[in-house]
Amino acid sequence: MVNAQLLELISASIIVSALYIQGQAYFKPTIYAQAIQSALISVLAFYLGFALNLIDYVILGVTIVVLRSFIITYFLFRGLKAKPGIRESTRGVASELVVNLAFFFLAVFILYYFVLGRIGLTTEAGTATLTIFSFILFFQGLFLIVTRRSTIAQIIGFIEEENSIVLFGILTIPIPFLIEVSIFLDVLGLVVITSLLTLQKLEHTRLEELMG
Amino acid sequence: MASDEALLIETIIQVSAAILLSPLYQGIHEKLKAFVEGRRGPSFLQPYYDIFKLLKKEVVVTENSSFLFIYTPYVVFGIYLLISFLIPVVYPSPIYLTPTVDFLGGALLFSLASFLKLISSVESGSNFVALGVSRVLSFIFFSEATLITVFFGVALITGTNNPYVTLHYLTQDISHYFQLDHVLITVSFFMLWLFETGKLPAESPGLSEMGMIDDALLYEYSGKLLGILKWGSYVKQYLLGSVLLNVFLFPWLLQTGPLGALLDVFIMFLKWLLLILISVIINTTLAKLRLFKVQDFLAVSFILSVFSLIVTVLIG
Repeated sequence: MVNAQLLELISASIIVSALYIQGQAYFKPTIYAQAIQSALISVLAFYLGFALNLIDYVILGVTIVVLRSFIITYFLFRGLKAKPGIRESTRGVASELVVNLAFFFLAVFILYYFVLGRIGLTTEAGTATLTIFSFILFFQGLFLIVTRRSTIAQIIGFIEEENSIVLFGILTIPIPFLIEVSIFLDVLGLVVITSLLTLQKLEHTRLEELMG
Repeated sequence: MASDEALLIETIIQVSAAILLSPLYQGIHEKLKAFVEGRRGPSFLQPYYDIFKLLKKEVVVTENSSFLFIYTPYVVFGIYLLISFLIPVVYPSPIYLTPTVDFLGGALLFSLASFLKLISSVESGSNFVALGVSRVLSFIFFSEATLITVFFGVALITGTNNPYVTLHYLTQDISHYFQLDHVLITVSFFMLWLFETGKLPAESPGLSEMGMIDDALLYEYSGKLLGILKWGSYVKQYLLGSVLLNVFLFPWLLQTGPLGALLDVFIMFLKWLLLILISVIINTTLAKLRLFKVQDFLAVSFILSVFSLIVTVLIG
């Protein structure tokens, strides 16, 4: 039997960790926060795995915690090149957070009333509305990429988006096969992308990539 | 005893406890903070001494001030006095005047008092106060929004915006207390309370001009008017803190009936000791925030309250 309140609590903690990442300018705590966020997702997977007796969830939980909480965290720290005290110059945490709120608030309401409310998504545990957390996380990741210039913050934004897909898959009990496969490929891809990008350079200036 | 008489006694106990005991909690807070910091600190009755001293002193008013400057302290105190009838700050059941307004009405009354304080302090024409008001405004646009959102959130959770119903709903079942939306809104309101009552480790009330937030508004006030405003701010602190305790953080243990009302005063005292302890721990263990970080702090509080609304509306 699944305790919906526990699922809500863990999912909300994941969102709070995303908010922390958005408000944090220093790289070191941001990287740790993404490790914690991934660990929370794996906790959710483990819980559902044991509660519903589904081995897929347990395997997924182990994969996430190993790849995202440890390997990607290791690569991100390597990308910092042993300079843990460095930070990104952010402009106005309060305004960023409020715009972020307005962004995901609006996006989630539109999604809920025009999409989720109409398709009548149902899951085995009857927790369909919980998938809303994954959408919130997705928009948070997107917003992080838009507002930051550093490679590490942008990769973390990308990881948040990936995490949101995993969260969506986990909360859509049982996990759809397509999402299961894509999660596995994404996780592998992430390690490669992270290791390559962080080795390249730490910060991107505006429109630099589009210049001929 | 007739129920009307009982109601009258309960009303008198609630309102007089809110008005008379509010400076005591500030005194205890300061004393405890001094103790943790290794100082002797002022007496826990110091806020009373200050109020009595100020009430006896003459009032000096600047030439530019209008009637607003002189009468606002009385109106603000009157608003806080009215709020003490409306929300469960001591007694857990409705008393006289409680049906006048609901939770949202209470929030709007708090906002009205803040607005009047701002407008009257600007009336003094002092440059320093104008700076202070601009600083306060750059913070309270978040805090007032959070206050109203929090009360919206409470209304949505219980399906009514009567704080007494909320109190009853929370004490009914422990699972109501641990609902995610309630947890989020409690954290948000606690953060707001820390800011609204100057308990945030950012400002230094009365010590440094640059660190003032709320005290900058009182800069041109003197004598009796200052005394009333200070007393009003203690009452506001008590009202917000008691709502935090009774409707959000610790809604249990309150008794009913006239004797129960007397007992509630003591129970509230114990609850307040708990709140003061938490506040002192936060104040003395956290490093002081830079002043502009207050906005970030309030932004987080606002976001948590709106997040709670999303959870309430979409997840239920």
